[in-house]
Amino acid sequence: MKVTLNWLRNHVDFDGTPEELTERLTLLGLEVEGVERLAGQLDGVVVAQVLSRDKHPNADKLSVCRVADGRGERQIVCGAQNFKAGDKVPLILPGASLPPKAGETQPFTIKVGKIRSVESHGMMCSHEELGLEPEAFGLRREDGLLILPETATVGQPLAVHLGLSGSDVVFDLEVTPNRPDLNSVIGIAREVAALTGKPLRLPEVTVPEVAGGAAAPAVAVRLEAPDLCPRYTARVIRGLKVGPSPAWLRSALEKVGLRSINNVVDVSNFVMLETGQPLHTFDLRRLRTRAAGVPEVVIRRASEGETFTTLDGREHTLTPENLLIADAAGGIALAGIMGGLDSGIQADTTDVLIESAYFTPTGIRRTSKALALRTDASYRFERGADVQAAESAGRRCAQLLLELAGGSLSGEVIDAFPNPPPSKELTLRHDRAKVLLGVDIPAEVQAGFLAGLGLEEVGQGSRTGAAGSVWRVPSWRVDLKREVDLVEEVARLFGVDRIPSTTPRGAVGSHPFDATYDRFAEVRRILTGLGLDEAQGQTLISDAAARRVSEEVVLLANPLSSDMNALRPSLLPGLIDSLSHNLTRRNGDVQLFEIGRVFTLHNGAAREGWRVAIALTGARDPRFWSGADRDAKADVYDLKGLVEELIERLGLRGVAYARRPESTPLMLESAAVTLGGKLPLGQLGQLLPTLAKRHDLRDAVLLAELDLDALLARGNPARSFKPLAAFPSIQRDVAMIVPEATTHEAVLAAVKQAKPGHLEAVELFDVFRGKHVPEGHKSLAYSFTYRAADRTLKDEEVQASHDRLVGVFQSALGASLRA
Amino acid sequence: MSLQERLPAILAAAQQELRAAPDLPSLDRAKGKFLGAEGAFTTLMKELGSLPKEERPLAGKAINAAKQELEAVLSEVRGALELRAALPKEPADFTLPGRRRPLGRLHPLTQVTDSIVRAFRKLGFAVADGPEIEDEVHCFDALNTPKDHPARDAQDTFFLDSTGRPLLRTHTSSVQIRVMEKTPPPIRIVVPGRVFRRDNADATHNPTFHQIEGLYVDRHVTVGDLKGTVEAVFQEVLGSDVKLRFRPHYFSYTEPSLEIDFTNALVRKLGKEWLEIAGCGMVHPQVFENVGYDPEVWSGWAFGFGIERIAMLCYGITDIRLLYENDVRFLKQF
Repeated sequence: MKVTLNWLRNHVDFDGTPEELTERLTLLGLEVEGVERLAGQLDGVVVAQVLSRDKHPNADKLSVCRVADGRGERQIVCGAQNFKAGDKVPLILPGASLPPKAGETQPFTIKVGKIRSVESHGMMCSHEELGLEPEAFGLRREDGLLILPETATVGQPLAVHLGLSGSDVVFDLEVTPNRPDLNSVIGIAREVAALTGKPLRLPEVTVPEVAGGAAAPAVAVRLEAPDLCPRYTARVIRGLKVGPSPAWLRSALEKVGLRSINNVVDVSNFVMLETGQPLHTFDLRRLRTRAAGVPEVVIRRASEGETFTTLDGREHTLTPENLLIADAAGGIALAGIMGGLDSGIQADTTDVLIESAYFTPTGIRRTSKALALRTDASYRFERGADVQAAESAGRRCAQLLLELAGGSLSGEVIDAFPNPPPSKELTLRHDRAKVLLGVDIPAEVQAGFLAGLGLEEVGQGSRTGAAGSVWRVPSWRVDLKREVDLVEEVARLFGVDRIPSTTPRGAVGSHPFDATYDRFAEVRRILTGLGLDEAQGQTLISDAAARRVSEEVVLLANPLSSDMNALRPSLLPGLIDSLSHNLTRRNGDVQLFEIGRVFTLHNGAAREGWRVAIALTGARDPRFWSGADRDAKADVYDLKGLVEELIERLGLRGVAYARRPESTPLMLESAAVTLGGKLPLGQLGQLLPTLAKRHDLRDAVLLAELDLDALLARGNPARSFKPLAAFPSIQRDVAMIVPEATTHEAVLAAVKQAKPGHLEAVELFDVFRGKHVPEGHKSLAYSFTYRAADRTLKDEEVQASHDRLVGVFQSALGASLRA
Repeated sequence: MSLQERLPAILAAAQQELRAAPDLPSLDRAKGKFLGAEGAFTTLMKELGSLPKEERPLAGKAINAAKQELEAVLSEVRGALELRAALPKEPADFTLPGRRRPLGRLHPLTQVTDSIVRAFRKLGFAVADGPEIEDEVHCFDALNTPKDHPARDAQDTFFLDSTGRPLLRTHTSSVQIRVMEKTPPPIRIVVPGRVFRRDNADATHNPTFHQIEGLYVDRHVTVGDLKGTVEAVFQEVLGSDVKLRFRPHYFSYTEPSLEIDFTNALVRKLGKEWLEIAGCGMVHPQVFENVGYDPEVWSGWAFGFGIERIAMLCYGITDIRLLYENDVRFLKQF
């Protein structure tokens, strides 16, 4: 909502600067989003009166005048001839500038100077010098000075006298949706009045008697849908003349960003801005009547499929949800939103029907949304207009039209208002403000605030018996619904900045997620400690990417685009995108992890869960200047090492990694990660090279994703101390050749089967294929550590156990020992 | 010349030769020459037998003393030569870059979230959480959002293609309802999390972003408490020079509702007087009634703000999309 300082000042006195007003409105909850200063036209030109006119001593054609400028007298030398003492004329004061004439670029600045050795303190002006068309202001075109009417006020800025825009300040205010009453100059002025204690000035609306006495109505109104239109008022003015608006009206509208159309349309816009009540004007003679008699306006629901063309030329197909203003032949306006193409005001319109109605917010909102049609009127109605203002705004509109466009009222005023709502009453207990605000504001101060806003105290006491007052809520305050809303008014006017700050006391919070938050932090600490950077990916991804990792994808009903039409069922597609983003920016070595939520369908219902995922590509280690391994790329064992470290730190035991026999839609080689082969924990592996290529990823891309909920539920991070070994250990190494298909896990299973006594640790230290190892086989070298807790083991004891173990390797794994 | 008269010259020659040894083998050779089986000192010891009996002890003592002196020199020289032998051929250049084991970095959003959560926790708040997929009841109805409020539009809110009109939560305030439904008052929680709005991505919008909010419900909770807590949290997060301003505003679930502007050196550097940072207010009595709390007994406040906005302010990040691209050149800066 834009409002100008001068317009506000029509309704309330405000002495402060625009900056002060900005500050006070903002702290009142009317945030000032922008302040624009408008330079005035004709600054420095005032209405002056010629007191005397004498001949110039040194020039025949000049005169020396004494002129009153409202503050005092000035001596002015003048060359014009068309004036006499007593005339009121425009006077430009020294220091001010005249607008540049045609063909000139620089304005002409007036100085005190001598003309033929007589001082002149300013200059009396002609209409040409001021750049004005006298007819536009109802003045005579003179050869010489512009002569102003006798009624002009001496000392008044000429711009004000002519209704031109003087200097002004435009405030752009953010009006919150709960305060439709602030979408009007009067509403804002009321806030200023309540804050400053200055009285609010409402326009005096006097409308002349209807010509020819209280005649029959000039129009009939049939209100068929009072549920959507609780009130409809109509007035008719006949014999007016459509024309340009006067300068003051044009300027008032233009300053707040509205274009001037003609006097009739401008008046209805002006009244809407002033009062907040949207109005509509129809050309009465364009209403189609069925039979003889006055035209009838019907407020009805559209029939299914009925078409209507709004004045912007768009044709709409309507449903009974849409409210129409109709005549005998069909719609003439989409109620509360926009008029029709054929019923509007034209240059030759003489008879006007003024509609001022109240349409319900829900109805307007539905129609406006369904038809994608938003106007200043729909904006106000859908937030809630003032049902009581409908009549007075119509009257105000009529008054201004009669003033500016002539004509006369015809027929009586129609006010269809079948069920006026009762006025609302709210009780404010005196101590309630203290309870909620934490500051003691005396009851009479609170009452003063509410009265300043237009509430009326109608009683004492309260239902709970506490001391309180009953307040009648004015009809424009649709937001005041219960006691706490009154407390807010008290807080606003008291000033939130004046409420002292206190810190919370009492209870300490608790929530089951509190501990989870810390465990997430622990996972982050582990993974950053392992050198991974944390990523945050988009929750919304494309369904194509989502379907690569899950068949149970949750789709959006109203996506923004096809790249963001599904909820991520996995963190991996997002991480692949992040790797790709890095690669295209030549960051070839990327190691990321992410913790986040994923979404999958289970029996048609969306389910969400936390995951942690890792993605690696490029160099294993940061670049270094020496070493055989320095160009090593990350491989699947780097990934596995990270996963193992994380899982171990989280305290999970018995995690199994089962290689999947086939490639998946995402992975070339991959393993399912489970707890004990049963509970799925996630997967890890290498991205399909075809997919990698599509994402510009050249090196192997290693991906792992684990169910973080399960990891945290099954992990036991508790630690306990085990005594340090006191006796020496004995180590035995075994190198054996096994078929390629024999896994490390199979070797461990064989160890478990043999159960050699005193075995403390098994460590794989070499895997080898090549020389001396037959095709389809590999050599595995293990080191076994034996130790007893209570004594030093003897070689022979260990040898016996170890020989049995080797025997099991041979029998169960078909291993042959290497020398 | 007597044995004792010759001794000093032999010792001096031995010392000189040992000290002159350029490496360990030369040293060993020199040692053999004087202390070995055929060495000069061994020869002297053998000569000792030919001395008169009464001269022997003195001469023996002298030889031993000289030998000890020589052993000391030998060990000194050997130590020095061993050290020299241990030095690598190429000296280490300590100005060369080391072999790094770099720590990964936490995402800036995580770091900012952590700092905000830390500030709340100091004041006794517990971290709470709720689902990102919500229903209209928890996201709107229970929060007193009018039925025809624009926020409920498909224009602004993502709905899922699923029965029951599930949606992606548009704010973390839905967690207020989830927690209050399940827990009797008092309540003191802080809720960080992802939220979703149907905005096209640009420099200041991403359809996914993060919010954090605090909720405090107890007896006698006032606007004063709200202000005090907000001030404490923002002083922790944005620095002790931060100044806050509270402006009346409108949210359906609080009454009174306030918007919070802040200012500090950073804001002034941006050429602004105030920057909007958060919304807050006293929990609306209707919201309390919706979760079965008696608004006559309990009062409370809630306040919430966007984490991206704080992160962008704190680090001077100019485009929100950087936060979701995971460019390592970006991540490594924090």
